[in-house]
Amino acid sequence: MNDAQRAIDVFAVTKTYSLGDVKVEALRGVTFSIERGEYVAIMGPSGSGKSTLMNLLGCLDRPTSGRYLLDGTDVSTLSDDQLAAIRLKKLGFVFQGFNLLARTSALKNVALPLFYAGVGSRARNEQASGRLTEVGLGDRMDHKPSELSGGQQQRVAIARALVNDPAVLLADEPTGNLDSQTSEEIMALFEHLNEGGRTIIMVTHDEDVAGHARRIIRLRDGRIVDDQPTARG
Amino acid sequence: MNPTQYLLEAVSVLAANRIRSILTVLGLIIGVTAVIAIQVLGAGMAGAVGGILGAISERTFVVFPSQQANFGRATIRLADLQRAKDEIPNIVGAMPAAGQRVVASYAHAQRRITFGPAADERFATSTPLRYGRKLSEDDIAQGRSVCVLSDQAYAKFGMVGDPTGSSIRVGDRRFTIVGVLGSDKAGILPLNFNLGVTIPYTTFERFFVRGDSVPFARFLMDDPSKTEQTEADTVNWLRNLKGAHIDYQTFDRKAFSKGVDGVFTVITFVVALIGAVSLLVAGIGILNIMLVSVAERTREIGLRKAIGATRFQVLLQFFIEALALSGFGCLVGLVLGVTIGALVNDLVIVKFSGVVAPIPWLRSILIATIFTTVVTVAFGTYPAWRAATLDPIEALRYE
Repeated sequence: MNDAQRAIDVFAVTKTYSLGDVKVEALRGVTFSIERGEYVAIMGPSGSGKSTLMNLLGCLDRPTSGRYLLDGTDVSTLSDDQLAAIRLKKLGFVFQGFNLLARTSALKNVALPLFYAGVGSRARNEQASGRLTEVGLGDRMDHKPSELSGGQQQRVAIARALVNDPAVLLADEPTGNLDSQTSEEIMALFEHLNEGGRTIIMVTHDEDVAGHARRIIRLRDGRIVDDQPTARG
Repeated sequence: MNPTQYLLEAVSVLAANRIRSILTVLGLIIGVTAVIAIQVLGAGMAGAVGGILGAISERTFVVFPSQQANFGRATIRLADLQRAKDEIPNIVGAMPAAGQRVVASYAHAQRRITFGPAADERFATSTPLRYGRKLSEDDIAQGRSVCVLSDQAYAKFGMVGDPTGSSIRVGDRRFTIVGVLGSDKAGILPLNFNLGVTIPYTTFERFFVRGDSVPFARFLMDDPSKTEQTEADTVNWLRNLKGAHIDYQTFDRKAFSKGVDGVFTVITFVVALIGAVSLLVAGIGILNIMLVSVAERTREIGLRKAIGATRFQVLLQFFIEALALSGFGCLVGLVLGVTIGALVNDLVIVKFSGVVAPIPWLRSILIATIFTTVVTVAFGTYPAWRAATLDPIEALRYE
């Protein structure tokens, strides 16, 4: 397969932070690819660099060296605003803490990325309600986050992440704030989305959750120590 | 990128934090209200004081010697005054300017009263008539024994009804009353520029000037817009007649209004300064609340950036929020300021002075609005910039 068809191509990426005089090497040369339609879990103990990798994959940060191609575009040297445009078009984020706007309806929360994309208000609402229906919340569109359960809030967040039809869905501990039954529901939703062709990358420290992915990349001390398909893969 | 969308977004955020939004703009509301109300009242007061100027004709000015030592030698001969209109451009006449207190009698009443010469109605005060007419050109030309009374004289003599046709006596001369002025209590100053009894200056010259000259003269102008040049010409003309070592000075309506205007310019400036300070304080209030708002919504800003908002979009959002906030405050302040200003002006100033002064509504509103805008831009930009430059990773981690 050629590069242009891959969702993600990471080549020899390093990330070094300076904390005063001390240099912290969070990533020490990471290389891997993720094909379109893959469902990958990134695991590792704290300090392994998985959050740093997630920030790089999410175009929230730039690598110190190395190359990162997202959906065929080299994003390693883009400016802040260019990265914002990439995040708007090609990425969808799901966070541990949902990060929904309080006092704002589910529909408006989901439509938010479209606001920044310059989509008109009628089209925004149409697309957002479509996504909410897709995650099973067609009857909760006008509810505010405080009127929804944790699982429902995370579904709203997932609908928001999907509303711009991203190349890659990035989930950072998506079940970290949920009980085990709700977690299963969210995992089932991810699997359903993956079966529909979505590329999903999920950071987690929970083996059971990671087991839902088809491939696990394990990090330690800023390097990949293991990269295997799961039983499902 | 539609500004209306941003405005709607800003309004919904502000509406969600209703109490805080209202408290924030309270300072602005008070500031704008004060600035407008005070400007309106200032104009009303200046108008009330300036209203008295109506009692001074703008087509005349008085000339008098400027040095006390030359007083005797500086007197102006009546014969010279008669030539003035032929020799000085824009001058159409000249007359003695000498008011005096005399004892006058009407029916059985004898009263001490101010008495003096006047020109015809073209050069008379703007004080309206109550009865009859003002002095006519014919009265002047013929030197008739007629007079016009002020409303104070009318009251002093205890007159009732229309007295025109009857006469008053000054010394051994009788003057037929042709007119009575209305109230000359113009403005709020207790000044009265109208003499009690005025008679044609030709008549005055004939019977009441001792010798052939007077110490003060009033000159009558055709075109009041050339007052300055005409006064200079007149002083030069007099100095040529009397000798260069004698100097004269002039007094006209403009000299009086300059004094009044000076006082009110200072008052308006000081008041505007106070208003500016109050708006500045209001601006700092907005700065403070917007900074709190940015800190409180750090995670929200992080999220907005993560899903693809550019720095400019975030900047715009917070800036428009500040604008919406101050726009609302400014609007409420405008309504309150105009209402309070209009009420106090009508119920207090106009009622006491009787003068309806032109109020610079548009200017007051523009000044308040422009100042609010400047303050908002100055103090709303920094919090918006802070929000725009937040690092999304840090912001998302913020607790």
